[in-house]
Amino acid sequence: MRLRTITILLLTLAASNGLRAQSPEEQFRRANQLYQQGKFAEARDAYGAILSGGYESPDLLYNLGNACYKSGSIPGAILNFERARRLLPGDDDLRHNLQVANMMIADRIEPAPRLFVWDYWDGIRNFFSLTGLMLTVYLFYMLLAAVISVFFLARTYALRKIAVLTGSGFLLVFLFLLVVLIARLGDVTRTDEAVVMSPIVTVKNSPDSKSTDAFVLHAGVKVLLVDRVGSWSKVRLADGKVGWLEGSAVEVI
Amino acid sequence: MDTLHGMVRALCAVALFSGAAAAQNATFQAGLDRAQVGIGEQFTLQFTLANAGTGGGANLQLPDLGKFHIMSGPNESSSMQIVNGAVSSSVTYSYVLQPKEQGKFTIGAATIEAGGVTLKSAPVAIEVVKGSTRPKQQAGGQDDAMAQIGENLYLKATVDRTRVAQGEQVNLVFKIYTRVSIASYAVEKNPTMTGFWGEDVETPKNIQTNPETLNGKQFRVGIIKRMALFPTQSGELEIGPMEVQSAVQIQDRRSMDPFESFFRDPFGRQVNYVVKSDPIKIRVDPLPPDPPSDFKGAVGQFAMSTTVDKKSTRTNEPIDLKVTVSGTGNIKLIESPAVELPSDFEQYTPKVSDNINRTGDRISGSKTFEYLLIPRYPGMKVIKPVTFSYYDPSKKEYVRLHSPQIELNVEQGAVAVTPLITGGTQEDVRLLSQDIRFIKLGEPDLSPRGEHFRTNGVFIAMLLLPLACAGGAFVYARQRKAEMLDQAGYRNRRAIKVARKGLKQAEYLLKEKGSSGAPASNQRLRFYGEISKALWKYMGDKLNIPQSAFSIEGAVAELGLRAVPGDIITSLKALLETCDLARFAPTSLDLAVMQRTYDEAQRIIVALERILR
Repeated sequence: MRLRTITILLLTLAASNGLRAQSPEEQFRRANQLYQQGKFAEARDAYGAILSGGYESPDLLYNLGNACYKSGSIPGAILNFERARRLLPGDDDLRHNLQVANMMIADRIEPAPRLFVWDYWDGIRNFFSLTGLMLTVYLFYMLLAAVISVFFLARTYALRKIAVLTGSGFLLVFLFLLVVLIARLGDVTRTDEAVVMSPIVTVKNSPDSKSTDAFVLHAGVKVLLVDRVGSWSKVRLADGKVGWLEGSAVEVI
Repeated sequence: MDTLHGMVRALCAVALFSGAAAAQNATFQAGLDRAQVGIGEQFTLQFTLANAGTGGGANLQLPDLGKFHIMSGPNESSSMQIVNGAVSSSVTYSYVLQPKEQGKFTIGAATIEAGGVTLKSAPVAIEVVKGSTRPKQQAGGQDDAMAQIGENLYLKATVDRTRVAQGEQVNLVFKIYTRVSIASYAVEKNPTMTGFWGEDVETPKNIQTNPETLNGKQFRVGIIKRMALFPTQSGELEIGPMEVQSAVQIQDRRSMDPFESFFRDPFGRQVNYVVKSDPIKIRVDPLPPDPPSDFKGAVGQFAMSTTVDKKSTRTNEPIDLKVTVSGTGNIKLIESPAVELPSDFEQYTPKVSDNINRTGDRISGSKTFEYLLIPRYPGMKVIKPVTFSYYDPSKKEYVRLHSPQIELNVEQGAVAVTPLITGGTQEDVRLLSQDIRFIKLGEPDLSPRGEHFRTNGVFIAMLLLPLACAGGAFVYARQRKAEMLDQAGYRNRRAIKVARKGLKQAEYLLKEKGSSGAPASNQRLRFYGEISKALWKYMGDKLNIPQSAFSIEGAVAELGLRAVPGDIITSLKALLETCDLARFAPTSLDLAVMQRTYDEAQRIIVALERILR
């Protein structure tokens, strides 16, 4: 009886070892090879497997988006590019590919015009990677602490004056970067953006299938989820149109 | 020979007998071609002698015709018929008259002698009215012929009903009534039909004539035009007159002159005559109110069918949807029924073809609408039932037809990577021609999903470390500041440090040898100075007394107050005096005394420090 238990335990271990035979990094390289051989659908599944294994990285999402695009799933490509952009907003390739994928969808949505300040803000926000931003914020945090310490320990007036001037400068930079970091963390963890995955979805004027049709969306459109009633989600488009659709028609980024 | 003679005589006898018998049956009648005539118009007065036998009539006596102009006459014509061996003959004398004044007149009896008998006709009445009772005829020379034709040629328009619903069919027939021979005819003016949509109904190329009686006269009647009319508006509508120009063959019977006849065309001559139909009024009732929403004016009896050429297709491959409406009614006016499609279908304007049967009593046929549908996205698609409404005039109600719902299975066609070209701006085209960039092949830098930073001990330590540094600095600075504010405590605590410093200096001076092996005299002076300074400073700090307000007595008294033992006070006093003595009267200053003084100073400070804590 005991022997049997041990055998089962060993077998289970062996099985789990078999599954874990390939490290996620190896799986990633393997998927890249598939992509390079032109087997886009297989590459897509391989990337997807890493993701469902619980791992994530901007490069992985980017490559998955590419594989989706090449295997014909534009909405899938947009979803994964958008997810990658959350983690790596400043990447040029990513921005380009997302733009190309967005050109392929049926609906053209002109974003409502906004103040130029917001473009600057986005530019600053997306300048650092998340890790880089965190390190920078930490650096300024340490500098600020050092300057404060100097201020306390300084015996001469001149030294204290220098400490106050540099310290207030560091404080401003630190606070600003902290706000950026909080905004970025908010971007990464937000769940109110989604991509339409159904080939076509009729957006209603109220959360009811008998309601009048507001407009029609095709796969690949990015929407903002602003409210929820049962299985219905209220969405807002970039151009300001608002309507209700079945939550199953979209996938949260 | 004899027999032959006998036969001839017998025949003659028969002929004479029959002639006599005929004369006995002779009739003499007067007639007018019409009962009413306008002033300036002509009419015909006829006297017909029938069955007058071989002799015919003689000595015709006319009644008084003073109220009329005799335009021509007498025109004599005779005819003879043998029917089943019975011979009948007639002679007609006709006069063309024109009235001189208006009123009711009676044309009196005329007499004629036939077969030895005088026959008398019955009087006839005529009414002469002002104006004209028939269209003005052409120029003078032909008046007579025109008059003759006018009463023997009519164009009549008839409709099968004069009150219909809007859109209901009305059959209009133009018939020509004739007693003259028509060589040819041509439609001069088609009827005006404002408010109608008209469809010509086919009529035989060769006009078939049928006998028909009109106003007691036998006419030959032929249909020259048949139309189906569909009123497109309600109210009192009028069908305008049609004009037909006909070439009429006439034979002039005016003159019996054989020479004149000889030179005439034996077939008579042709006269162009225009006949005109009377306008017809038709009352059109409007359709009942509240028609179905998809009613577009179809009236009649219809059926509808829908077909698709295939039930399943691929994206971007067209489907043909055919909607056929057939029946009787205003088929030509039927508009395409609206087909409600799923919104991702591309729909083109339908191709319309109709097939109309114009031969029967009612216009019938079918109209087909062909819709080309292109599905753009895959999935099960449902085309909602096509509806078509019409008004049925026989039931006097609207009828709505429904087709069955059509379900289509659309599969994904060619790979969707081929872009759907949506926009037309320059920028789109430029970008569409580009492809996405290549994948990233570097190290993926994988991290567990959803974990963007780890709040472990290291992280917290790193976060707290600078805070701790700054905090430590702050606490230290505060303490220092507090000490500086607490001057007495500060001096107390610092006293021993300062004293030690002074003693150290003294020790240094003591140990330092001059060039002669012993400290120089100024060195000794500085030694005592340092010792004295250290002691004074120490006591000043410890007792918190400014050095300026300090004397040996004062210090001794202060120390006494602080319960310092007397021997220490005495020693201190002695030591201070020694120092003063040595400084101001430098006599016996050897190393041993200096060493003793130093040890003494150290001993006193240690002892004082122990007491004055």
